[in-house]
Amino acid sequence: MVFMMFIKFFLLSIVCSVALFANEMSAESIIKKVDENMRGKSIYMKMKMSIIASGHTRTMVMQSWSQGNKKSFVKTLYPPKDKGITFLSLDGQMWQYVPKIERTIKIPPSMMLQNWMGSDITNDDLVKQSSIVEDYDAKILQRDGTIVTIELIPKEDAAVVWGKIVSQIDTKTFTGVQDLFYDEEGKEVRVFKYADVKRFGDYFIPTKWSILPIDKVGNSTQITLEEVSYDIEISSEYFQKSALKRFSR
Amino acid sequence: MFSLALKNLLFYKSRSITTFFLTFMSAFFFIVYVAMMDGSHNSMLQNALKVYTGAIEIYKKGYRDLGGNEYLLDTVESIEKKLESIRGIEEFTSRYETYALLSHKEFSSAAMVAGIHPDKESHMSQLKEALKEGVYLQDEAKNSMYIGIDLAEKLHVSVGDELSFIGSTSDNSFAADLFIVCGIFQTGAYEFDSSSAFVSRKYFDELTSARNKASYITIKVKNLADVDVIADNIHKVLLDDTLEVVTWKILMKSMVEAMQVDSIFGYISMSLFFVVIFFVIMIFSYINVSSRIREFGVLRCIGLSRLDIGKILFYEIFILSSAAILLATPLGAYVAYYFSLHPIVIEGMSETYKEYGIVSDQLPFNFDMLTIMWNVGLIYILNFLSILYPLHFINSFKPIEASKHV
Repeated sequence: MVFMMFIKFFLLSIVCSVALFANEMSAESIIKKVDENMRGKSIYMKMKMSIIASGHTRTMVMQSWSQGNKKSFVKTLYPPKDKGITFLSLDGQMWQYVPKIERTIKIPPSMMLQNWMGSDITNDDLVKQSSIVEDYDAKILQRDGTIVTIELIPKEDAAVVWGKIVSQIDTKTFTGVQDLFYDEEGKEVRVFKYADVKRFGDYFIPTKWSILPIDKVGNSTQITLEEVSYDIEISSEYFQKSALKRFSR
Repeated sequence: MFSLALKNLLFYKSRSITTFFLTFMSAFFFIVYVAMMDGSHNSMLQNALKVYTGAIEIYKKGYRDLGGNEYLLDTVESIEKKLESIRGIEEFTSRYETYALLSHKEFSSAAMVAGIHPDKESHMSQLKEALKEGVYLQDEAKNSMYIGIDLAEKLHVSVGDELSFIGSTSDNSFAADLFIVCGIFQTGAYEFDSSSAFVSRKYFDELTSARNKASYITIKVKNLADVDVIADNIHKVLLDDTLEVVTWKILMKSMVEAMQVDSIFGYISMSLFFVVIFFVIMIFSYINVSSRIREFGVLRCIGLSRLDIGKILFYEIFILSSAAILLATPLGAYVAYYFSLHPIVIEGMSETYKEYGIVSDQLPFNFDMLTIMWNVGLIYILNFLSILYPLHFINSFKPIEASKHV
């Protein structure tokens, strides 16, 4: 009985300390912690993506390997007709390899806001070319328990695609609850909703993401992270142009 | 009164010549200026309509505002069947447009890739005439792409080169293929030439799963002036609230608005010119009347009423204006007519103003008798208004007082 009370007291103390600590944290520090959770030093993910549009659902499965915000590699596993399509993002540039036509294509910066493979995520989301930490000025709008609402405004010289992002962050785990994206005219464009936060070593990450475009009612993209590994050794071969064809098979 | 007015005109020669000359010049320049302004606007509009935009287009509601495959027409064949029965329609065709990534070696660019019926399209738009190099698309052509000259330049391709196409199908899934550039076109419209590529629908429909689907149906009408009536008829025949029938006036709203603004500024500039002409004529009439106070006084004393004095001044301006306008109208109309047939050519104009939709170096005038009539009518009215103050001035004198005026 005493032991149980001690455990409860101990857990309560931890929650209170985290909450107190989070309460004192600046917007920048919170965003940095969230970004660290999303990226780690390196991260491998296998994800399932369901795209719902015009009453139809399409499912895709892919793997991704990233190192920081400069290097990432994505490979499509399913459906069979798209199997082996690979994407490489390297120092702000993006390439795609399509096995059907056996060509490697450079994706121009003007296409970064285009939807990726018919989903509601953009090329920019996929490669995380823009950094939420480096490219935006963060300001706390509201604190509600452990949930902190932060407004992110692009820095003047930042090459970003959004006019503003309003993020709700759970400071218990430093993971996103919801991101609302605005265009340059201040119009809401889409909402990212995150759920089912899981712990992987030192990191927390939501494993279910829903992307809802504001102007297309009924459309959505659901992403489920099926496998996540942080801080793994990723061969440098993944981040070379030759990897696009080589790892496509 | 009329013969008295005529004698006065012959007696006061300098005033008559000045009024005649100013009226002639303003009528002549007004006719020519309006013909040139309307002509350039019509030319811009017709060029734009010829290039690609149809006189009427049918869309699924939402496509124009939001775009995307959710708003594609999905019963194209049945819509086209209904269109066949509507009078006033010359031709129609469906287009399936998608935005894709085109790539050649290390060069890539986003572009609008449209699946078209090449044969039908050759009657609808200027695409075929715009061929610069290679050959125009064929209905049965496979893997052939017809691209704009500025897009070809961006991608560093010429006829016979291979292009990678990365896009999406009509159900939003991934589509990729290799195409060979069969021809390069140049319409002169930079935006269009730098971002458009065309492939035959027969082949493209398979690649993009777009059979019986279209972004829109474009319609060419026999007479552009009938678009509103035909659009109304289409609406009644289709009987489908999910569709919208849009005329060029809406499709090219920004261009129409820009032309309206341009016209307003044109008329403002002309009105400043008219204000000057009006006051010069009025001042000359006033000076003339001032020097004839005694004459008008004597006329009043021998029994002429104020109305008769007004009639004399009215006849004077009527004779002068009519003579000037009778001479200016055929001359101005001839200039407008001549340049409507033989447009002025300003070398390099299309290159300089291509972003404003000017695709030709030719500047055709608009010859329209109705426009010329209202142009000269306005000059007439202004001339008559210019004698109101001099008339008021002369009528402010009493007959005896005026007859003794020195």
